[in-house]
Amino acid sequence: MGKLSELAQALMELNEFKFLELVDEKLKKKEDPLEIIKECNAGMVEVGNLFSENKYFISELMFSAELFKEAMKKLEPFLGNSKTKEQSGEIVIIGTVEGDIHDIGKNIAANLIEGSGYRVIDLGVDVPAEKFVEELKKTGAKVLGLSAMLNFVFPEMKNVVDSIAEAGLREQVKIIIGGAPCNEQVRKFCGADYYAKDASAGVTICQEIYSSE
Amino acid sequence: MNQEEKQKLYEERLARYQAAISLEPVDRMPVGATAANYFAEVYAGYSNQEIVYDDEKWIDAQVQFYNDFPEVDVLRAGKIWAPLYDALGCNLYRIPGRDLPPGGQFQYVEMERMKTDEYDLLINSPVEFFMERYLPRTFSEFKERGSTRSYIAFLKGGLGFMMRSAINKKISETLQKKCGIPQPICGALLTPFDFLADGLRGLKGIMLDLYRKPDKVLEACDSLVDQMVRGALAGADPQCRIPIFLPLHRGNTPFLSPKQFEIFYWPSLKKTLEKLIAAGYQVRAYLEGDWSHNWHHFRELPKGSVVCDIDTQGDIYKAWEDLGGWQCIVGGMPDTTLILGSPEDVKARVKELCENIGKDGGFMITGGCSFPYDTKPENFRAYVDAVLEYGRYNDSVKMEVKTSTPSTEQIFDSKPAVITPWETKAEELGDIMGDEELIKQSWEMLEHLAYNWLWAWTW
Repeated sequence: MGKLSELAQALMELNEFKFLELVDEKLKKKEDPLEIIKECNAGMVEVGNLFSENKYFISELMFSAELFKEAMKKLEPFLGNSKTKEQSGEIVIIGTVEGDIHDIGKNIAANLIEGSGYRVIDLGVDVPAEKFVEELKKTGAKVLGLSAMLNFVFPEMKNVVDSIAEAGLREQVKIIIGGAPCNEQVRKFCGADYYAKDASAGVTICQEIYSSE
Repeated sequence: MNQEEKQKLYEERLARYQAAISLEPVDRMPVGATAANYFAEVYAGYSNQEIVYDDEKWIDAQVQFYNDFPEVDVLRAGKIWAPLYDALGCNLYRIPGRDLPPGGQFQYVEMERMKTDEYDLLINSPVEFFMERYLPRTFSEFKERGSTRSYIAFLKGGLGFMMRSAINKKISETLQKKCGIPQPICGALLTPFDFLADGLRGLKGIMLDLYRKPDKVLEACDSLVDQMVRGALAGADPQCRIPIFLPLHRGNTPFLSPKQFEIFYWPSLKKTLEKLIAAGYQVRAYLEGDWSHNWHHFRELPKGSVVCDIDTQGDIYKAWEDLGGWQCIVGGMPDTTLILGSPEDVKARVKELCENIGKDGGFMITGGCSFPYDTKPENFRAYVDAVLEYGRYNDSVKMEVKTSTPSTEQIFDSKPAVITPWETKAEELGDIMGDEELIKQSWEMLEHLAYNWLWAWTW
C-alpha cells in the first residue's frame, strides 16, 4: 500500500468532521469527483485491511460505510455523466437467500466491496433462486455472493447454485458463500466456489476473481 | 411408569442438571441440555406454523420427541406464541404461516424503533417513551390511537400476555407430569446494551451512536439495569432451582471490539448479573457468535453462577481453557456436523471432547446454543448414545434437588416504577372506608404488571 492521502487517512481514522470537511474543500477547489472517490476507495480498502487484521471491528466498518455514503451524497451532484468503476464492468451480485431475512452481514460485505471500487447489485434478503439467475443473465456478473445467517437455509443455498447450473450459467460466475453458520463443509455441500469467513475475505476473493481474468 | 416414578425421574434429572451447572459432583453429563431445542420443535412433523399458533401441538411435539429420545435430561422447545403478536400487530417477528411459508423459521425483524434523539426520553420518562414513541412504531393496531380498535388491542395484548404465561406454565407442568423432564431455564432478560441495540436502535443505529453519542449510550445502559432485572425476576422460578435465560447478542467480536465491549457492554451486564445472583439465581448466558475475546470476564462473577453456552463460532477448547472449572461450559458439537455430518462424525466428536475436557463435570455437550432444526434424527440418536457412553463420571454420586427462596430486598437502586402512583389514586378516591393497605397492594401489583408489560416488546 502506498501512502494514503489526507482524505483517505481521515476516512480510515473515522474522523467524521475532518473527512467531510476535506470533501467539501476539494469540491470547492473543483477537484475531479472521480479522483475524490478513488481516495475514498483507498481509505475503505484500508478499513477492510484493519478489519482483517482484527484491529477494526464491525462498528468501524459500519461507521466508515456511513461516512462514505455521506461523502457520496455530496459528490453525486458533481458526477454528471462521468463513468466510475461502479458503473463500468466489475459487477458483484449479492443477496441473502430465500427463507432468511438477515441483512447485517450481507450489508457489511456489500458496503466493503462497493467501497473497494466494485459495482454491487444488492438483491436484498429472502431472495428466490430465480431472481439470482435472472440478474446473472441480465448483467453477466462474474461474482455472486450468497449470504445466510440461519443454518436452516443451507439447502436453499445449494438450490441457488443448482439453479444457476441448470440455467447454463455456472461457467460464467464464481459463487461465494458467507454468513455466521457457513464454513468449508457448507461450501462443499452447496457446490459453491469460495467460502468467505468475513467481509474483508469477500473483498479479497472478488479481487482474485476479477484480476485473474 | 406411574406418577411417583415420573416425579422421581424429574427430581433425578433436575438434580443432575443443577449439579452440572453448579460444578458440583455429578454422575454423568446431562443429555440434550440446551436452553432451546429447535430440532425437538419440528421432529414430530408439525409445521412451524402449527407450533407457533397451536399450543396443544407445541406441547405434543415435545412429548413425541421425548418418547423417541427419553434419555434427554431437560427439554424446552419453542419460544413464540404467535397469536399474541397478531393481536397487537406487533412487527418484531416474521412468523411461519403468516408472513413466511408454514415451514419457515420465525425471524426477528430489526429496525430503528427508537430515534437517535430519544435517549433522554427513554432515560427520564420511559412510560412516555413507550406509549408515545416506541409502541406506536411497533404495534400496527395502535395506528388509529384512541379508536375502539386500539383500546381493544391493548386489552387483547394484556390478556394474551397472561395467556402466554399460562401456556408456558402448562408446557412445563405437562413435561414434568407426562415425561418427568424439567425445563432448562425459567424467566429471561436482555442485557441493557442488547435491549438498546436489538429492539430500540437497531444494529446500525447503535453502532453510529457509539461514535456520535457514546455518553448517552452509557447513560441509557446504566438506567436500564434495574428494569432488566425486575422483568427477569417476574418470570423466574420462585424456588430458584432453574437458571434465568440471558441471550447475549452483540457482545461478541466482530460486533464490538474488545475495548468497546469493556466500555459499553460489560459494566451494565456485570451489574445486571450481580443483582440476579444476589437475588439467589444462576443465569444461563447464551454467548451468541464468537465470544473468545470477552468470555474471560465471567471469571469476575462467583464460581458456578453463570452457565456459558458457547456458540458454534466460538472455540470450545479455548472456552474451557479460559473458564473451565469456574463456570459451566456448554456446546462443542458444530451445527454443521449435526446437519451435514454422519452419526460416526457425531460420535467421534463427543468422544474427542469427553476425552479432552470436562472430565470432572462442569461441561455439557450440545449444539451451539441449540440443536438445529435440520439436525438429522440419526445424528441426534448418535449424540445421545455417545454422551451416555463417554460422558460418565461416577455412578455412585448422589445428587439432590436444591431449592432456595429468592432474596430481592436491597438489590435495586431504584423503587419499582408505576404509571399511576397509589397516592394519585388515593386522592381521587377520597375517604377510604376500610383497610387502605389492602386496596393499595392490589393497585400497585397491577401497576407493576402493566409497567413491565410496556417494556416487554423489544425482543
